[in-house]
Amino acid sequence: MSASTLLGQVRALLDGAIAETGQGRLVAARRRVDEPLRVAIAGRVKAGKSTLLNALVGEELAPTDAGECTKVVTWYVDGPGYGVTAYGSDGSREERPFTRRNGALEVSLGRKAEKVERLEVRVPSSRLRRHTLIDTPGIASLSADVSLRTMAFLDAEGERAAQTDAVLYLLRHMHGSDVRFLESFHADGISEGTPVNAVGVLSRADEIGGCRLDAMVAAGRIAERYAADERLRRLCPVIVPVAGLLGAAGATLREDEFRILAQVAALPMDDVVELLLTADRFAASGEDRRRLLGRLGLFGVRVSVRLIKDGAVADAPGLAAALTAESGIGRLREVLTAQFAGRAEVLKARSALAVLDECVAPGSRAAVEAERIRAGAHELVELRLLRLVRSGRVPGKDAQLAEMDRLIGGRGVEAYARLGLTVEASGEEIAERAREALARWQRIAEHPLSARDLRTAARAVTRTCEGLLAGQNQQGWASR
Amino acid sequence: MTVLAELAGARALAAGSGADDLVARVDRATAQLRTADIAVAVVGEFKQGKSTLVNALLRTDVCPVGADIVTAAPMTLRFGRPPAAFADGAPIELAEIGQHLQGPVEVRLDRRLLGAGLAIVDTPGVGGLDSAQGNVTLALLPTAGAALLVTDAAQELTAPEVDFLRRTVERCPRTFVVLTKTDLYVEWRRIAEINAGHLKRAGLDLPIVPVSSFLRARAQARDDTALNEESGYPRLVDLLRRDVLEAAMQDRIAAAKAELSFVVERLRERVDAEGAAIRGVPQVVQRYEEKARRSAGLAHGTWQTLLGDGIQDLAADVDHDLRERLRLIIRNGEDVLAGSDPRDTWPDFQAWAAREAAAAAADNLMLLVARTEQLAAEVAERFGLECDRLELDLPAPELALGKAAELDVSFQQTRMQQFLGAFTAARVSYGGFYLLGAVGALFSVAWAAPLGLIAGLTLGRRLMKMEKERQVQQRRQLALSELRKYIDDVGFHLGRDCREAVRRTQRLLRDEFTSRARAIERSATATEAAVRGASQLSTQDKQSRMAALADQRRKLDGLAASGVGGAAR
Repeated sequence: MSASTLLGQVRALLDGAIAETGQGRLVAARRRVDEPLRVAIAGRVKAGKSTLLNALVGEELAPTDAGECTKVVTWYVDGPGYGVTAYGSDGSREERPFTRRNGALEVSLGRKAEKVERLEVRVPSSRLRRHTLIDTPGIASLSADVSLRTMAFLDAEGERAAQTDAVLYLLRHMHGSDVRFLESFHADGISEGTPVNAVGVLSRADEIGGCRLDAMVAAGRIAERYAADERLRRLCPVIVPVAGLLGAAGATLREDEFRILAQVAALPMDDVVELLLTADRFAASGEDRRRLLGRLGLFGVRVSVRLIKDGAVADAPGLAAALTAESGIGRLREVLTAQFAGRAEVLKARSALAVLDECVAPGSRAAVEAERIRAGAHELVELRLLRLVRSGRVPGKDAQLAEMDRLIGGRGVEAYARLGLTVEASGEEIAERAREALARWQRIAEHPLSARDLRTAARAVTRTCEGLLAGQNQQGWASR
Repeated sequence: MTVLAELAGARALAAGSGADDLVARVDRATAQLRTADIAVAVVGEFKQGKSTLVNALLRTDVCPVGADIVTAAPMTLRFGRPPAAFADGAPIELAEIGQHLQGPVEVRLDRRLLGAGLAIVDTPGVGGLDSAQGNVTLALLPTAGAALLVTDAAQELTAPEVDFLRRTVERCPRTFVVLTKTDLYVEWRRIAEINAGHLKRAGLDLPIVPVSSFLRARAQARDDTALNEESGYPRLVDLLRRDVLEAAMQDRIAAAKAELSFVVERLRERVDAEGAAIRGVPQVVQRYEEKARRSAGLAHGTWQTLLGDGIQDLAADVDHDLRERLRLIIRNGEDVLAGSDPRDTWPDFQAWAAREAAAAAADNLMLLVARTEQLAAEVAERFGLECDRLELDLPAPELALGKAAELDVSFQQTRMQQFLGAFTAARVSYGGFYLLGAVGALFSVAWAAPLGLIAGLTLGRRLMKMEKERQVQQRRQLALSELRKYIDDVGFHLGRDCREAVRRTQRLLRDEFTSRARAIERSATATEAAVRGASQLSTQDKQSRMAALADQRRKLDGLAASGVGGAAR
């Protein structure tokens, strides 16, 4: 890894600082630079955090229940085999035995949940290789003043050291004028979101509008309305409706489960309607059906039976694919890739620098160097500008701000995404677009009537455009 | 004999003896018994299925429902034939209700449950329970006969819901928890169990009624009794009929019976006195002369002083309470602002301020209601004592029938109810209460664009910190002064409403007891005249008069016995 990349610089800086001070936190920060991005799943109790985690990993891992269930912060990391480590609040760490019931891990803690700081669950999974997922116990409802302060806290500095690099916020369907509307964005010391590292998820989307077959459409409308809310836009610019139960079931659907559904679908239409009228009726018609209902939810069962009856799917893999598509989990993965994966290096560098800030004295060599990296690395400048744009701090027309957001990587850091093109765009197209954007933003940067702040921001954007062009030219040279 | 028949009997007797004011009293009691619906407030969080529940309960579809629709103003459904709808008092088409959801809507429907005397109020879920709207709902609950807290089976009761329930029960003791959407969640029985546990821990003993609005609607469409049974609604309807409607009717009947016994007592005194005079009981004329003389002073008795002083104390206490609450809001506001940048949190700060103001108003109002009730009871008690004193040291004439003394004891026990009848402090206090609707929220503030923040984009952050901090301070000051203005405004409106409510209370209590005092005085004067007339009758007339009196007395005893029984219940 070259020392010229951002992460390379940060590595070198941390190594230097460790050699000087030898602080444990710095060592941990150094190690973290080479680990996968840490993504926390946050939200209030019963928002469906564990279900979403299962859906994202594609495996029944986290136990789920009708009552409150997750009590300990649990890290799901990629590992060579299954294993669980408990980190005690007294600094101890020990391997814990676990059993799997219907796939879900049941860990025997060996002590009170309060005495365990976190659990680390190792699972061999390619999905966890990309990012570590952290399941959190939900926050209970907060009083309004607390959530007011929380929100301020979240938005205040945005570069404080946190244990995680990015956050998935699970939102409930709630009215916008609710004082507790933003309570999901509660910073709890484990996770901290800012507009550049947070994604909102409208969870339990299948239950909106009474589990009718158009539930996901209604959820989509609500998510759109949320995304238009100024306050939410400042906190997390993207909101995706997800039916976690469907996603989890789609990833783990078994052949025998498909057969049960197919049996139901084979009944005459009237009987099917009667059977699927209420959850009770379906559950009462057989123990295996009750289990299936627990896995899919009433909406999931209804959709599956409809799909089988209509002949849209004929086998378990087909149904699994259809359920996954319906769940919206695919869209969430895309968003995660665009928002987090592409930016993983920058986010990690930012987290590392934040730790460094808190560990070394201001004015020391390491602090000066950190400041130099911050000012010099254009990726970090972009990230900070993105934050400012999304917090509504940059003056400018809406169209201008939208373009700025996109150019500095708001929708993904790939050149095509920044320029509003598709992945198939040719090199010429990209270069052409980049040249246009460069000219446009140079004009804004130099225009005497532009607001001073806008001009400064525009200069940063022109630098981005130059970088895009340079990248394109390099590729051009290489292919020649 | 039903109360209505008894009231009619008492009216006939009063009319027969020419006591017009007593006739008017009976008429008023009759009217009160017949009119006024018992309001059932349907409360709960956003999207728990409140409107759907109202629709299913009344087998209608007038309440607009849907994933994207939210009830923004209370909607009242009461009995009416033919069906009609009114928005802000103006008639509208039933089909157009969806376009008038921003203001209060009243719908009249031809339904048996409504015809029996219930009015269902669908309250807005906007903003959640813990908001300005939630507090306004709470403030109106004391006027409701019952409340249904709606929560769905998707998850257990949340902390704000339990808290709201506790405050609901304080204001409206007949509260039920309705668990909706049981058709969608197979685990609803466990949720109901968990909820029961939450209620128990909170010290609330409330029934939980699980229902499925979806099944009820379907059962209606297919005319399917078994399905209706499965929906759980029959139990809810039953609860409403038995525990709400009948219980409230009992209260009303008790009030009517109290009025009945007041009238009967007046009439009986006259009959007894006249009887005594005819039988030639000694000193009877002097006794009633003295009583009539004393009764004339009752209208200006010490209860007037008690009322006057009590009202002044009450007004001062309620006013002080309000000031204290408002001061606390400003102090808390300072704290909240100190931890945030108003530029970022302004909309939420507005919602917070509106909620705090509404909560202050609701709690202040509750104090007013409680104190008013207390004062009314005190005045009633004093008035009762003064009534007793009218004949305390008078020689007790040997009256015709010995039963009276025994009955009088029961009258004593129900004195307050006898004098206050269907008085509810809540209704008096709330007449035209302002309740913040128009105070609105804090003004929107156009925050000046922060200067020079972007300039620091490529510089170190530390350099920018000072400037940022200064700007935030400035914004906090601005926000705080806005909050002060708002609280001033709220204080002005609430204070004015409070003073009006106090005046209304004073006037009501004064008028009520003055008119009673006058009734007693008039009755005493009439008795005195009757006694004088009776003693001068010829022997033959005396005999026939005696027979007539015995007949009246028998009728009155019949009325009194049931009247006392009802009042004591």
